[in-house]
Amino acid sequence: MVLALLALAAHYVRAIQYTPVEATQGMAQKIFYVHVPAAWSAFLAYGIVGLCSALFLWLHDRRLDLFAEASAEVGTVLTFIVLTTGPLWGKPIWGTWWQWEVRLTSTLFLFFLFVGYLTLRRSVYDPLERARYSAVVGILGAMLVPFIHLSVWMFRTIHPKPIILKPDGPSLPGSMLSTLLEGFAIFTVLYLGMVMVRYGIGRLQEEKEARHAAAS
Amino acid sequence: MLLRAEPPANGQYMVAAYVLVAVVLVLYVTTLFVRARGLVKEVVE
Amino acid sequence: MAALVFAALILVIFNFARDPTVLRAQELAPSALWITITFASVTALNRAFAVELDHGALDGLLLAPVGREAIYLGKLLGNLVFVGFVQAITIPLFVLFFNLDLHGALPGILLLAFLATLGFTAVGTVFSALTARVQFNELMLPVLLLPFMVPPLIGAAHVSSKLLAGRPLAESAGWLQILATYDIVFITLSVLVFPAVLDE
Repeated sequence: MVLALLALAAHYVRAIQYTPVEATQGMAQKIFYVHVPAAWSAFLAYGIVGLCSALFLWLHDRRLDLFAEASAEVGTVLTFIVLTTGPLWGKPIWGTWWQWEVRLTSTLFLFFLFVGYLTLRRSVYDPLERARYSAVVGILGAMLVPFIHLSVWMFRTIHPKPIILKPDGPSLPGSMLSTLLEGFAIFTVLYLGMVMVRYGIGRLQEEKEARHAAAS
Repeated sequence: MLLRAEPPANGQYMVAAYVLVAVVLVLYVTTLFVRARGLVKEVVE
Repeated sequence: MAALVFAALILVIFNFARDPTVLRAQELAPSALWITITFASVTALNRAFAVELDHGALDGLLLAPVGREAIYLGKLLGNLVFVGFVQAITIPLFVLFFNLDLHGALPGILLLAFLATLGFTAVGTVFSALTARVQFNELMLPVLLLPFMVPPLIGAAHVSSKLLAGRPLAESAGWLQILATYDIVFITLSVLVFPAVLDE
């Protein structure tokens, strides 16, 4: 069910995006409609990792750890999408592939946080230990994201660049805004769908490990 | 902002981005399915 | 001390790698300094728990009637002293090699060094305990810690360059607040979270 939703959502995104009005930036501006929702869901994913990590340390329910793991993996994929669609948008609009500004830098480090989290999980074999360590990293990482954002933002406002793109300017024409909101909704659904499947995989893996341990 | 008669012709970037997103997502979801199916078989024996 | 040799090496390379007519020492200095401190600190943190693990002292610590939080604070202090020592040698060397005119910026720089180091050492101490019993731990520690070093280092490098250019410390009050907040938040969080790392 959820899986069908996924497929549907994915195609929905494609279909809708071709209808809204073009901007003065040309067709490339439409990247906005996947890039921004993806970014939102990526940060949501990490927020969930942080939340589940904290809850896990408090409640010791292994399912929370598995959910965090699922969210982290999905989050990595989403962040990767943000980091690749970003430059594809930036190159035609700004003229450069990259800039050290707030959003890009925060997202880049979000990516590192995700990768670090997942790498750590690969390196620890005992499930309980792994859960604990991951939770620690998850919580600390979640706290870090606002700080990175703040630091880079402060840095930028001291040395303003002449070209600052504001992807979410307040005066978006109605049709664009609705498409964007739709994008948010769809990516959120996508995120949830992928996490649920991934979580299911995690549970199955746990089950499998338990049986192997019991058999040996 | 210059007033242009027509928006710049940079559609190829958009296409690239959309294709990329679609490919990445489809690939990832496919791997999820494959893994899930493999595990279900193993556990339900 | 591998960390010190490393620091000296970096300083030397930086000096030879730049063209003095193009890049004034003042401009390169903050980056060079903070890169050096970063490498030295990570090296130090990597070793922090290794010694105890080797000697099985960690279990002894756990048995002692001392709160886990206290262990963390003790470790933090120890790490700070160690890293501080490395910095105490590196910073003068750095002033020397770059022929820096400090403009009376020294107290500011020292304050920065303290605040920034406190920040990433707080998290680094947790991670060094965590990665001590993990595979590939020399690699894992920097990988995990890197994002956490970013806010303190951005702040430190930026304010250092302003100080070296002769600006008064008061101008950077905002940054100092951020650094201080970062320290408070992460020390508190680390204290709360550290017991989970040591649990058996």
